Amino acid sequence: MLKSTIVDTRVRLRPSKKLLNLLDKQKEHLKELPANLAKILEKNGYSIANSTRIIRDDEIVCKRPQIDVKLLKKLTANLPDVPSSAQEINELPEEEEEEPKQPLTGDFLYLNDLHFLNSTLTELRKNNITNVYLYELIESCELILPENEYKPRNPELEARCQRLRDEQQNREYHKMTKNVDATLKHIPEDTVAYQLKSINKQIIAVAQFIFSVAAGFTFGFFGVNLMVGPLPFGFRILLGVIVALIIALAEMYFLAKKLHEYDEVLDAPKRKTPNSPKASGVQILQKPHVD
Amino acid sequence: MSKKNTKNEKSAAGELLDSLYLDMFHLIEAHTQCRIDIERTSSDGSILLARTKFQQGGQSLSTAQIPAENSAEFNALCRVKKASDEDISIERHPVDKENGYVEPLYWFSVLPPMSLRSAVDKFKRTIDLIAESANLQRELSRVLDGINRLRQTVALQ
Repeated sequence: MLKSTIVDTRVRLRPSKKLLNLLDKQKEHLKELPANLAKILEKNGYSIANSTRIIRDDEIVCKRPQIDVKLLKKLTANLPDVPSSAQEINELPEEEEEEPKQPLTGDFLYLNDLHFLNSTLTELRKNNITNVYLYELIESCELILPENEYKPRNPELEARCQRLRDEQQNREYHKMTKNVDATLKHIPEDTVAYQLKSINKQIIAVAQFIFSVAAGFTFGFFGVNLMVGPLPFGFRILLGVIVALIIALAEMYFLAKKLHEYDEVLDAPKRKTPNSPKASGVQILQKPHVD
Repeated sequence: MSKKNTKNEKSAAGELLDSLYLDMFHLIEAHTQCRIDIERTSSDGSILLARTKFQQGGQSLSTAQIPAENSAEFNALCRVKKASDEDISIERHPVDKENGYVEPLYWFSVLPPMSLRSAVDKFKRTIDLIAESANLQRELSRVLDGINRLRQTVALQ
């Protein structure tokens, strides 16, 4: 199982019966209702007054509230500094037992709705209609935090990884036992043709190097002389050597790179395709060394 | 008089608790978002590092290029600093070879490839995000603590 990225970062609350009942009771005082909340109410069998206006989510002001730190300090000043955790633990399950869990699936309150509820309750409290606070409602709701989704690993990928691992291990094993096991001697790298071919390649690379250096020298020795006019012999040689050196330096870099690549290729035995015509060697190669 | 006073206090506590809860939800969302961003930028950076290695070839890097114990000392370019109100912030120092602020990007080559440069940017961004996430987490725990204490006060009344 793989953890995937969290897609929905919103905090969700599963509304309790208490909350829905309260909303239902106060519905004549509700002038407007967010679309999500209205949907939840309707789904759970509550009716909405006709005068209620449905507002869209983006109409609700959703801003982080300012916390009055001074007031908080003042209110909690008479508490001991270290709150007794045992008391808290005793407190919490009690409340949960009071409110049996309501299996209201599929509908969740989002932050928008909570902001709306807060402002509505503030309004209602101001008009002395009710004396309920948001926290009393929230306490009876189930908080659902954003979570990672788990999804199984793609079996195709798994198979491919396994195959690649096997191949790699076989290759290593083969390299390790190449000069011990006599049956593995018949591999393309050890035949004369293969070696001649690779030597050929390297000889060509070296010959290219020599030719270009020689051409550079020729240009410095004759070409400049022809273009500019008669030059002293020593100066011509100097020019030729300088041009040849520049070309040699550049060529050397590429040559070293190429030869290094050859070494790497020689180090790692070639990948064997399963249906290779050279059956005798291949069958032994395909035998996995771990049983 | 005292009764009215308690009632006032209670309503103030209730409103405060409401806003604390709302703040908590906001902080949880922001924290989650921050964590996701960390995940994304760091995995982007890792992919870019892998690409750099792929382009350079396996043998182009060696441990000899990394400074060992007996090589010259240098200072950190990036430090965690305590800002006001217990928050932390990241302080970056400009590269200054005379005073020992070395750019580690040039340890491996004089001309670092483009993918390595962008990987560095990604990881720098990740560090900023981690500091932000730590700040958010501290704030969240402060709010949670406030909620706990306030609830006890309300329960006592």
